Amino acid sequence: MIQPYKKRKIDQALARQEAPPPEKPVTIDIADGPAIPRPSDPGLYSAWKFVMIATPLIMIYLTTYDQIGGFIVRHLPEFFWRGNFLEDWALTERNAYRAFFFFMPDGFQVTFQVTLFSIPVAVFLGVITGLCRISRRRPINLAASIYVEVVRGIPLLVQLFYLYYALGRLITIPPLGSAVLAISFCYGAYMGEVVRSGIEAIDRGQREAALSLGFTPFQAMFYVILPQAVRTILPPVGNECIALLKDSTLVSVLAIADIMRRAREFATISYDYFEAYTMVALVYLFLTLLLSKLVSKMEGRMGSYERR
Amino acid sequence: MKKFMLLAALAVALTLPATLPAQDGKTIKIAFDATWPPFEFVNENKEVTGFSVDYMKAAAIEGGYEVQVINAAWDGIFAGLVNKQYDAICSSVTITEERKKTMDFSTPYFTVRQAVITPKDSPVRVFDDLAGKTAGTQIGTTGTFAVDKVKSIISKTYDEVGLAVEDLYIGRIDAVVCDDAVASNFIMENKNYKEKLKIALVMDTPEAEELYGVAVRKGDSATLELINKGIEGVKAKGLDQELNKKWIVAE
Repeated sequence: MIQPYKKRKIDQALARQEAPPPEKPVTIDIADGPAIPRPSDPGLYSAWKFVMIATPLIMIYLTTYDQIGGFIVRHLPEFFWRGNFLEDWALTERNAYRAFFFFMPDGFQVTFQVTLFSIPVAVFLGVITGLCRISRRRPINLAASIYVEVVRGIPLLVQLFYLYYALGRLITIPPLGSAVLAISFCYGAYMGEVVRSGIEAIDRGQREAALSLGFTPFQAMFYVILPQAVRTILPPVGNECIALLKDSTLVSVLAIADIMRRAREFATISYDYFEAYTMVALVYLFLTLLLSKLVSKMEGRMGSYERR
Repeated sequence: MKKFMLLAALAVALTLPATLPAQDGKTIKIAFDATWPPFEFVNENKEVTGFSVDYMKAAAIEGGYEVQVINAAWDGIFAGLVNKQYDAICSSVTITEERKKTMDFSTPYFTVRQAVITPKDSPVRVFDDLAGKTAGTQIGTTGTFAVDKVKSIISKTYDEVGLAVEDLYIGRIDAVVCDDAVASNFIMENKNYKEKLKIALVMDTPEAEELYGVAVRKGDSATLELINKGIEGVKAKGLDQELNKKWIVAE
């Protein structure tokens, strides 16, 4: 016969053991990624606004400081007359910031292409890898795990050199193609891990309920689990996309004329290192902030029924 | 804790030699971008070596000063000079009017011309034949300037001329433009390149002649004088001819 007091103690201990761990909102944050401005983080939110306004203002100031007002007023009539305002502007006396600004645009285009092509391929690879990583079939799981281990263990810079120069002797891939391939191959592995942990975070009951309703495992995954997992997966995937944009500067080693390459070319010709790299820093800052806002907007839309 | 302190001290000690500046007033730090054989490159023993390095060491003996060899990346090598990371650049820098505006040059120590490397079956005969083709160069070299002068050539710049030659060998670009001695070195020394690549042309107009000089900071006349004295000593003794024989591949 157990005394009531003791019994209560034991009951409590058992309850403690059996109780499911307290529900925590699942957020997968990575430390090295750029910060996504969430309204719940007021400091970051206002910092985002501040930098977002300051960056273009600094860029405008640097490219026009020698002639703010003066030039625009002087040449306004010509602008309306001939419409080649920019041409005149580029021809006036040298301002290295402005000179770089006019040197850069095709680099901007290349960076844009590399990022834009890499993101869908990387996301696609990531989803496939994530699904394979949770597969119960040994060979599939093993293949995906090896892919993740190998890719995550090799620096992107080395991967780029390897694909372009080392494998180049066997198969020749055009520069843009190898840049996109290497970056998406690398980020596919990173995103695969994000997708895997996102899916694993969904309660097992969801899958069991779907199966008991007569869904096939495939349907359960694509109609029940993945749509819910997207909410948790989206922020870190967005983070990875921003990191991808930043890492795209590495393709400049493949003689691909992205923003960074153009800046280096500009600097080695004109010796205006300070001006060129200042502008590059500002341009990338502006781009990543823009992208991070986009991600936070998408996140807000996805989680609209979630109480904050 | 003691172990940790010991380890920390060791770590500091290991980094010290690299950070301590040379105290001797007569030591000149000279930067080389060691990716430009046969002038400056890293040999099997991981030493920076080549024509320029030997030349500078010979000049140091003649001029009565010490040389500290520094390996620096080409892209940014001029910025390092301005930032006082070293006192001179002897990295096959061609003396140009544009460069004279930002730095001072010593007496020329070598003469080169731009050469065009192509695959063996390429129809390129004169420089203008490159129109519409892709030409690779090392970033910010006189080869780049020559390519950029002809607008219809698609210019591609690499961190190192070796990477450009490799890309030519792979077949992604149609030509590489670089200094003639460097071009012949790449083709003669490498079996793979020798089979597939050739020097299609060397620009031989008088104005295509380029002079290498040692670059120093604008207004740093003390360093410049020492180096000039050294170079003249080397020339007077005919040491430069010996170095030529030793390093430059005969065509």
